[in-house]
Amino acid sequence: MKDGRFLTLGIETSCDETAASVVADGRFVMSNVISSQIDIHTAYGGVVPEIASRKHLERINDVIGKALSDADVTAKDIDLIGVTYGPGLVGALLIGVAAAKAMAYACDIPLVGVNHMHGHIAANYLEHHDLEPPFMALIVSGGHTEIVNVPAYNKCEKLGGTRDDAAGEAFDKIARVIGLGYPGGPKIDKAAKEGDPESAAFKRVYLEPGSLDFSFSGLKTQALNYLNQERMAGREINVNDVAASFQEAVVEVIADKAVMAAEKYGQKRIVMAGGVASNTRLRALIAEKAGAKGIDVLKPSPILCTDNGAMIASAAYYAYKNGEEPTLELDAVPGLEF
Amino acid sequence: MNILAIETTGKYGSAAVINGAGEVFSAISTEEMNHLKGMMLLIDEALREAGIDKSELTHVAASVGPGSFTGIRIGVVTARVMAQMLDVPCVAVSSLEAMAGRVLDDAVSKGSLYVVPIINARRHQTYAGVWEAEFTSDYEHKALSPVMEEKQYMIEDLLKELSSMIAKLEAEASGRAQSLKAMLGNAVYFTGDGIDAYKEIIESSLPEGTYVFADEELRYQHAESVTEIALKRAMAGKVLGYNELMPEYMRLAEAEQRLKAGTLSERIRKPVQI
Ligand SMILES: Nc1ncnc2c1ncn2[C@@H]1O[C@H](COP(=O)(O)OP(=O)(O)O)[C@@H](O)[C@H]1O
Ligand SMILES: [Mg+2]
Repeated sequence: MKDGRFLTLGIETSCDETAASVVADGRFVMSNVISSQIDIHTAYGGVVPEIASRKHLERINDVIGKALSDADVTAKDIDLIGVTYGPGLVGALLIGVAAAKAMAYACDIPLVGVNHMHGHIAANYLEHHDLEPPFMALIVSGGHTEIVNVPAYNKCEKLGGTRDDAAGEAFDKIARVIGLGYPGGPKIDKAAKEGDPESAAFKRVYLEPGSLDFSFSGLKTQALNYLNQERMAGREINVNDVAASFQEAVVEVIADKAVMAAEKYGQKRIVMAGGVASNTRLRALIAEKAGAKGIDVLKPSPILCTDNGAMIASAAYYAYKNGEEPTLELDAVPGLEF
Repeated sequence: MNILAIETTGKYGSAAVINGAGEVFSAISTEEMNHLKGMMLLIDEALREAGIDKSELTHVAASVGPGSFTGIRIGVVTARVMAQMLDVPCVAVSSLEAMAGRVLDDAVSKGSLYVVPIINARRHQTYAGVWEAEFTSDYEHKALSPVMEEKQYMIEDLLKELSSMIAKLEAEASGRAQSLKAMLGNAVYFTGDGIDAYKEIIESSLPEGTYVFADEELRYQHAESVTEIALKRAMAGKVLGYNELMPEYMRLAEAEQRLKAGTLSERIRKPVQI
């Protein structure tokens, strides 16, 4: 407690970002430290789990220390620690979990484990201070493409998800193939702004009527074939056009299904989360499609879309306030479900 | 001084506390590879046994490897963050040195000269080191001094070195009256889970009667032996800030090896050119 506010420290190490943050009353970001390893993994064309684990270990103390000092508090002021315990890379997760437990024990602070996906949704509580469940959530990230009904804090009913690649994964793969490099999502987003989304007719995969699932692997194959054909025919490939066309095929389906889910469940709000939620075209298109049906779309600012400790702190706060038992026996669960 | 030591480089995690009087209290997991889930409870148990509050700790020590990469990280991170939060220094202890220390009494009592901890690193690889046991004739004083570098060895290479060390001893002994067997009995004392993996290779490489294996109760890592080395090191002022406590992996990540060797798959490293 400081100045009458309940302080939560959130710790996140599920993939390639070492992050920690102090959040007041579950809603107000007092510090948000994110140490990204992107520069290191770029040399390998993607995240190397063993290297990610080694880097998390080297950085975790300073990241936690800076989260405290940026918020102008000390460990003694912290009322609750929340840490991501899954899903994610097991070697990466366990750095955050071990650090959180050591701090919780050393400083006598209660600790709760947080589902990373609940964290992504909670990012919206930090951005929109009046937002409360229920709402429809759309989670689009490197590992997930999911439509989730959220009836209450940290309660998630998964209505649909990807049957193969996640949206971010599809972006990353195509970006690599067209030479944009890693991480692909933001680079596709940028290139697409200069390109023609109708230059190549990529299919929109809706699956069975009414399905809220996704499939992006067919689209990926189609894009690869298209690139091969063009190359065989000796035509020069316009990277911006391919990026724009591919992106449009991905985001159109996502936007349509999110709106369909909200309508079906009578939700008046769609809440976006995950790294791909910062895609500018997806943000614009979903706002347009939902707006036409009188549905509001909320999204966190890009800094809260990527993996961060603040969203974990917020989710931890609501879990704790709703009676979740603190534990020093937390384990990492790489395949944790919603 | 009250030092907490954490050992998670092997199968069974353990925590131990050594107090100013040199008394050691410890707790060890009964479950394999339960380091992450179980460590805080082991630490709490060791502290309670010792009757020491965490705020009374003066140092946090960790066995920093070699061993299981995951295990090493859990122990090192736990030690680093506890030290940071309790505002005390860290002490780094090699898992191999602690393993050697653990069997020193037994090795000396069996007349062994060389103590060789070997950790299984799979595919004929080991992390190992060789120490010479020094002791006075009344066994009052015992110590270990390193004679071969702690690093990754092919088990066959390590055994070749040990064979020639045994041969040298034989040559020295040959001029003397005592029977060779008595001079060389159990010259080499092996400990560590490398025994479980490479027993047959060892048995077929060294002359019978020149070596002995540690019993299972002494064979594996234990935080108790980490505290003893940590205490000496702390008294000598060899302490580290929490950020300086680093794992001793003894091996690059596989992708790093391949990047250095230039054998990282082309597809991964370079974007496809079109
Ligand atoms: N502007 C963007 N457009 C599309 N994808 C993006 C954008 N920004 C980030 N991404 C994608 O988001 C993913 C990372 O998001 P994140 O939530 O960190 O994923 P995860 O935690 O599942 O790895 C990556 O696949 C990245 O390419
Ligand atoms: Mg994420």
